This record gives sequence, C-alpha cells and structure tokens, in this order.
Amino acid sequence: MKLPLPGLCPVLLSTVMCVTFLGCNVTRITLNTPLTQNNVAFIVPGQTTLADVITKLGTPDSITESYAGVVATYRFLDMKYSRINFGWLLKPFSPVDTDLIISRTGLGTDALELLCDSNWVVTHQSFLRHLSGSRFNPYPF
Amino acid sequence: MLFFKPLASVIIVLALVMLQGCAFSRGTLGEDIKSESVAAIKKATTTKDEVLSLLGAPDRLLQVNGRDVFQYYRYDAKVGSLLLILINFSRLSIKSDDLFVILNREGIVEDVILSKRTDGMEFRFWPFGE
Repeated sequence: MKLPLPGLCPVLLSTVMCVTFLGCNVTRITLNTPLTQNNVAFIVPGQTTLADVITKLGTPDSITESYAGVVATYRFLDMKYSRINFGWLLKPFSPVDTDLIISRTGLGTDALELLCDSNWVVTHQSFLRHLSGSRFNPYPF
Repeated sequence: MLFFKPLASVIIVLALVMLQGCAFSRGTLGEDIKSESVAAIKKATTTKDEVLSLLGAPDRLLQVNGRDVFQYYRYDAKVGSLLLILINFSRLSIKSDDLFVILNREGIVEDVILSKRTDGMEFRFWPFGE
C-alpha cells in the first residue's frame, strides 16, 4: 500500500516504535556459561576422566561424595526478564503516575552432574532439568 | 531512495535523543586466586601446611574418595546497562574462579585443579543472543 504522504512514514514508524516499547525493560542474568548437550558430547561414561572434563569445561562448582562415588556439579543459570509499563502511555495526559505493568521472568537454572568412581573416571553424566531455554516474553498470561 | 534517507536520519536522531545514559557495576566475592601461589604448589611435594600458608584457609573443606579437598573460590559479577528513554537493556554476568587442592591421607598434595572463568569476562549490555 502506498501512503498518501511519504513524509508521514518516519513519523508513523517512530510512533509505532514508541508505543510498542514504552517503558520497556529487557534484562538478562547469566551465571557461568550455560552448557548444552553439544558441550558434553565428548564425555564417554567409563572412559572419560574428571581431568579430561576439567580440561574442557573448567573446574566444577562443587565436588561431593556419595555412596556411589564422587559427584562433580557444574551449575549455571540463564535468566531472562522482560517488562512493559503501558502506564507510560498516560503520562502526557495524567497528573499522576499510573502503572500498568506486565512482566515475566524465565529462570533457566540447570546443572550438569557427573558421577565418578574412585579412579576419577566418569561413570554417569546428566543434566538436572534438561531446559529448552527461557525466552524474552513479557506476556504473563 | 528519497524516502529512505529522511527515514534513516529520523531513526538516527531518535536513537541519539533516546540515549539517556549507561551504567557499569561490578561486584566480587572472595579474594583473587593468585596464579603465582598456585604455581608454587607442587604435586607429591607440597604439604597441607604449605598450602595453608600460601593460600590461607580454604573457603570449603571437603572429604572425597578418602582425601581432603580444599576448595577456594572467587565470584565476579559485571553489569552493563544501556538506559534509553523508552527502553532499558541490562545484562548481568556472573562467573567464578575455582581452585581445588586434593590432599592424600598423609597431607601431601595429590592434585591441583584451577580454572579461571572470570578471565576475559566483559561488560555486556545486549541481552539477546549468546
């Protein structure tokens, strides 16, 4: 569709941008580097040692002992938060500050756990929650 | 093309006008793990007392596989915020340096494991992507 006044386009575009993004916050928090299945594909239970894993992934966040052996845990977090305040739309017209806020937080927390035997060979490995990854989506309903 | 140029100009001007400010913050937990001190620890030679004198008391003391494990850690957090009039972007990155010193039953160092994840960690604003 061709607009009647080409000069109107920038104004229209900026207005749409302003209305869409009024009072927006986009925040992300990451703890350590999130690991994926691809990052741990090199681990072969019964063959790979904890030293091999440390060489590639760094030291684990914790090492604990269980009846089945030593448990090394890599923890990570990928939190995404987005918020829109539609109350900003009324700011030019209202004498008071009004808020109509929608927000949503996706807390993508997970951990990789490795079970090692007494010789530090990895016998089992698994992610705790198998997250698919949180998204920026302020719509809470 | 005649239409595009004014549009680009308007967008650039809008972006400049909307740029309200930016913020940098940083927080750390624990002392920096000095590489020289770690390098001074030799496997099968250094004793528990020497480790303690080099690095101080561990943040965590574990018993694993019949061995004592000293864990030292340090956390570093960096926040970058880009504050626009209409939209704010922020990103907080937290990483840790961890050192594990594994001691055998005789109190001699069996292994030293160090990783410095905080090296190269940068202030970031952009929350999207990796």
